[in-house]
Amino acid sequence: MMSFWPSRWCSPASAAPAKAASRQDAGVLTVDLLVQQQNFRLQLNEQIPLQGVTALFGRSGCGKTTLLRAIAGLDRHPTARIHFAEQPWQTADTFMPVHQRRIGMVFQESSLLPHLNVQQNLLFGYQRRANRLLVQLQPADVIDLLELDPLLTQAPGQLSGGQRQRVALGRALLSQPQLLLLDEPLASLDQQSRQEILPFLQKVARELKMPMLLVSHQLEDVVKLADHLLLLQDGRVISRGPLAQQLLQPEFAACGAMSVLTAVYQSCQHFMLQLIVGGQLLQVPAPVSSPTANGSYRLRILARDVALSLKPLADSSVTNQLAVRIIAIQAAAHPAEVLVQLEVADQPLQALLTRQSAQRLALTPGQALFAQIKAVALD
Amino acid sequence: MLNLAPEDWLAIQVTLKLCFYTTLILLLIGTPLAFWLAQAQSRWRTAIQALVALPLVLPPTVLGFYLLLLLGPHGAIGSTLEALGLRHLAFSFSGILIGSVIYSLPFTVQPLLEAFRRMGQRPLEVAATLGANQWDQFFNVVLPLCRGGFVVAATLTFAHTLGEFGVILMLGGSIPGETQVLSVLIYDHTEAMNYSQAHQLSLGLLVTAFMVLFIVYGLNRRLEREVSL
Repeated sequence: MMSFWPSRWCSPASAAPAKAASRQDAGVLTVDLLVQQQNFRLQLNEQIPLQGVTALFGRSGCGKTTLLRAIAGLDRHPTARIHFAEQPWQTADTFMPVHQRRIGMVFQESSLLPHLNVQQNLLFGYQRRANRLLVQLQPADVIDLLELDPLLTQAPGQLSGGQRQRVALGRALLSQPQLLLLDEPLASLDQQSRQEILPFLQKVARELKMPMLLVSHQLEDVVKLADHLLLLQDGRVISRGPLAQQLLQPEFAACGAMSVLTAVYQSCQHFMLQLIVGGQLLQVPAPVSSPTANGSYRLRILARDVALSLKPLADSSVTNQLAVRIIAIQAAAHPAEVLVQLEVADQPLQALLTRQSAQRLALTPGQALFAQIKAVALD
Repeated sequence: MLNLAPEDWLAIQVTLKLCFYTTLILLLIGTPLAFWLAQAQSRWRTAIQALVALPLVLPPTVLGFYLLLLLGPHGAIGSTLEALGLRHLAFSFSGILIGSVIYSLPFTVQPLLEAFRRMGQRPLEVAATLGANQWDQFFNVVLPLCRGGFVVAATLTFAHTLGEFGVILMLGGSIPGETQVLSVLIYDHTEAMNYSQAHQLSLGLLVTAFMVLFIVYGLNRRLEREVSL
């Protein structure tokens, strides 16, 4: 399976429209944290880029939410040190209270204030912050972006789960944050509601260029949204870096190895997108939901949907074929399979083969060969 | 039918004044106290909660007795006041006001505590991340979300003070215009065999108390479900 969505990340000529308002100074969020509770310990010292979407990924109970709450200032851990770019949020003798940190937070479950309607909820943060600060996001723009207009006069109780999260997202954005914190914003939603909110999160990430921290245990959501990934396990960060590289971590092999390719838009014919990866052409069906746009697209390719051949295949139903090079061959989760790490135009790609096939083709690191990605397998 | 003597009217006045001030003071004290109790994890919490609930189980005479000792001319507070050139607080309106505040404390704190617990931390966290400081959170989140709790707390406090007897008798005696409240006056009337006077006031108090509770609970039927006592 392969799906795609425009990426706001890789190309300077990305799909961001001109109205994209907030430009943040790229800096880092420095977090030095030690939390020791019974049966639970979280210890980390990280520099998180304040650019794009950084996913805090890991199983439930690994400390993701604890980390997010410490960053927000909702929990105060005496030994924590937190700096937002040059701004000290928590040091040995200072603690900036939550309401002074310019963060926007979206909680896991519905967090709309029940005594206010949608419009009043949306403006709650805006009214408190906008007057004193340079307004980057206007209510009308956010209402437009998130398609909230029909909901404005409704009470939170009348909304579906997906709508509530959309309002919560809009409310967070209107509080003019410098950093958006998303605590499993999709976790409490059913599959259909997730589809209602995911495109909006992508839109926010793409068009507003707002730095975001996304806590999630759903790889599916992470690959759609994140640019960077922090992998947490048992209260420690075990690896960090750009998403495409992080997906090579063995931890992901267990839950279905996959790769993310960034491709540049060339044209769209007969509902097929023509995309370029390292000078090579890829064709994928255009998304039905969102209109096609120039810029770069992100493609998700499951390792088991990639086949390898020594020569280019002709006369095949496979339309997508890329010249690749083998970087490494690793054991896969299943003893009869191997995971082949490939490289296409400096981007990692993974293929899951049987051990037998790998031996038959005599695959070795450094070898150049061809990867087939079945077009029918594309989303 | 209503044939009230001037002393009866005076007692009604003192009673209403006492109820009003007690309710006002208790809302001011009880709100932060209940708020603290709702979220504190301090080991003092249990002790404070027990202290707050103490007037529920103590005979009012015990409370009145100790307050009399404390606030009287030889008590710690009373003698300090005398030393400062002020009057001690036994047998004074201020004295019975202090007694009422302590006596009715659980009736303010308990409904508020329930309401705050029901609301939980999340709305406050949300408001904080949206730039609201503590006062802002209180007036724009806590107050509207816990409105029912406040109404019930105020009503119960008022009504409970209306029915206060033991503490006032011990601490304030029965000084017309100062400490003689309705419940005490009814007692005095009964002692003096003025049954018709006692009857008038008793019935009036009964009807008033019922009406107050009926109107408030009627207006806030859903709140009655929200806030259990």
